Amino acid sequence: MTFKKFIKTVTFIEILKGMALTLSRFFSRSVTIQYPDERRPIAPGFRGQHALAKHPQTGEAKCVGCGLCATICPSQCIHVFREKGKVSRYEIEVLRCIYCGFCVEACPYGAVVLTENYEYSDYSKENLYMTKEKLLSNWDKYMPGNKGEEYFKRFWRPMSGDFETPSQQPMFRGKRS
Amino acid sequence: MDQVEKIFETRELNVNMGPQHPATHGVLRLVLDLDGETVVNVTPYVGYLHRGIEKLGESLSYFQALPLTDRMDYVSAMSNNIGYVVAVEKLFGIEAPERAKFIRTMVGEMSRISNHLLWLATHALDIGAMTVFLYCFREREWILELFEKICGARLTVTYPRIGGVRNDITQEFLESLWKFTEEFPSRILEYETLIDQNRMWLKRTIGIGVISAEEAVNWGLTGPTLRGSGVPYDVRKFTPYDAYDRVEFDVPVGTEGDTYDRYRCRMIEMRQSNNIVRQCIEKLPPGPIMADAPKFTLHPKDAMFPITHPTKEHAFYIDEKVCKGCGMCLRACPVKAITGEKKKPHKIDQAICLQCANCLAVCKFKALKIVPGGKGLSEDKLKELAQAPLPEEITKAKEHLVEHFTFIKRGPRAPEGDLYVATEVPKGELGFYFVSDGSGKPYRMRVRAPSFIHAGVLPRLCVGHLVADVIANIGTIDIVLGECDR
Ligand code: SF4
Ligand code: SF4
Ligand code: SF4
Ligand code: SF4
Repeated sequence: MTFKKFIKTVTFIEILKGMALTLSRFFSRSVTIQYPDERRPIAPGFRGQHALAKHPQTGEAKCVGCGLCATICPSQCIHVFREKGKVSRYEIEVLRCIYCGFCVEACPYGAVVLTENYEYSDYSKENLYMTKEKLLSNWDKYMPGNKGEEYFKRFWRPMSGDFETPSQQPMFRGKRS
Repeated sequence: MDQVEKIFETRELNVNMGPQHPATHGVLRLVLDLDGETVVNVTPYVGYLHRGIEKLGESLSYFQALPLTDRMDYVSAMSNNIGYVVAVEKLFGIEAPERAKFIRTMVGEMSRISNHLLWLATHALDIGAMTVFLYCFREREWILELFEKICGARLTVTYPRIGGVRNDITQEFLESLWKFTEEFPSRILEYETLIDQNRMWLKRTIGIGVISAEEAVNWGLTGPTLRGSGVPYDVRKFTPYDAYDRVEFDVPVGTEGDTYDRYRCRMIEMRQSNNIVRQCIEKLPPGPIMADAPKFTLHPKDAMFPITHPTKEHAFYIDEKVCKGCGMCLRACPVKAITGEKKKPHKIDQAICLQCANCLAVCKFKALKIVPGGKGLSEDKLKELAQAPLPEEITKAKEHLVEHFTFIKRGPRAPEGDLYVATEVPKGELGFYFVSDGSGKPYRMRVRAPSFIHAGVLPRLCVGHLVADVIANIGTIDIVLGECDR
């Protein structure tokens, strides 16, 4: 054992260093969020519970019932029922959904979206079985004003712009600090 | 005397560790044979988290199966996604555009950092260092928030797509990521201050789980678990995919092949990843983010607007003169609005029709016509309007719409054949092996999961050591049971 090593061993220098670090953290700002009282901001485009989009003018569901969302859904949790020229039932089993967002991408009519709602735990399964009415009310609740339009513009992909070079593309603009 | 021996007979103690043991990183069950404190034999049992992902992949189209890979290694879902799309792209013979490649490299390295952070956190916690655990999660949270900014999900991201990525990154994201890369090296120093020279950490890791380079190769180890033994094998270097051939990075290797060396490798790898992310941000080229391969990617939504926009009130009409009565549309119609006998012209009942375009997508004889603004018109009027030539934008939109419907219903068709593509995920070499019969779904999908192979080496590492070292060994091979059991 060299002298240096000996000093290190008897002075507990590395442990003291670690302790100094934790002590300094003791006085810094806390990073913990006290969840039910505080909530972290949700990024736009969050893939939470579904909503059925409403027609901006008529206020009716945009869904025409083509069933593409039900076809693409990897967990097969969307059920679309139609009768005589209208969509009679549109149901999503929330408990089976994996929030991949493929239904949004598959729908050519822009009729289904994912909202920012992630707090939908419940005691009964019925409440977690989304019917057309519930999905439509979700639209009013979580996509008020032109938020829905914004959602489609940014997160309903791909658009033609993704296949070519748009003029205003995010780029790194040099170091700044 | 015999009887005394019988009463005081010593035999090995059989202990079940897991599947609910918090230190087994999931639901790994180890049956330990103990002689006092020494491990005599270890038998790992896997499969408690088996969801049949390989089999599921065979019943889903190539496009649909992507979210399954999120659920394999949920700790680094992004890397698994990238591994899958890189493999499928090779199968299809398409190439993602430059910008998408750089974005994928960037997020892949972010996921490597977040994986190693979680590994360090839990490994340190298992061995007894609580503070590191908390500090690591602080930074991991930062990365997950960045993931949420680009794709709307923190853990199961489903961000890359076959032929590119889901959506472009934003300026805000780029800047906050740059800030992260500036800050992160100092955070790594913090972890090192806490454990790197800590005598307890050294005692628990040095000389534990030693495996020589030759043996490690023979066991099929990959990733940092292999590199800790001094073998500089890294898929990113050997067969570069995405943008790895355009960024500079070193592959850290250990010398002893013990737990401490593997820990050092991963710490250096985090620094290297941080560097790669920085290079990707700097070099990020302008350009498209989706490949121009209409057969293998989703079609642009706005190109379909002339037909699908909610303000458009089109009607669908079958031209009697052209219709061959093949019945395809009849089967595709979800409301049975189409009637007709075989080989005779079919007819759409406009009162029932949803205007959903399903029939349009299946008619091979171009008998199905769109009548712009024809909703609610009488049959005769429709017949008259259907003869008029369509405006060009609608013709174009129709092509896109038909391809979109076919893509969703049938999946992108792969050429026949089979191939194996490996990518470097944080845990090691993740390989996808596809056998394709030319349809939209793989005939066989096989996943070479590094965790599964690493779990197999546990008996070799643990036998002869103390029972407390089993925990250190489980940590050091970095397994996630979601990927191991698939
Ligand atoms: S998000 Fe995915 S799993 Fe959920 S309903 Fe849509 S397609 Fe299905
Ligand atoms: S939500 Fe969209 S994809 Fe699903 S049935 Fe309605 S229109 Fe079709
Ligand atoms: S548009 Fe849809 S509902 Fe109308 S006939 Fe065609 S498939 Fe049936
Ligand atoms: S698919 Fe076309 S050709 Fe066949 S019955 Fe329908 S309209 Fe006629």
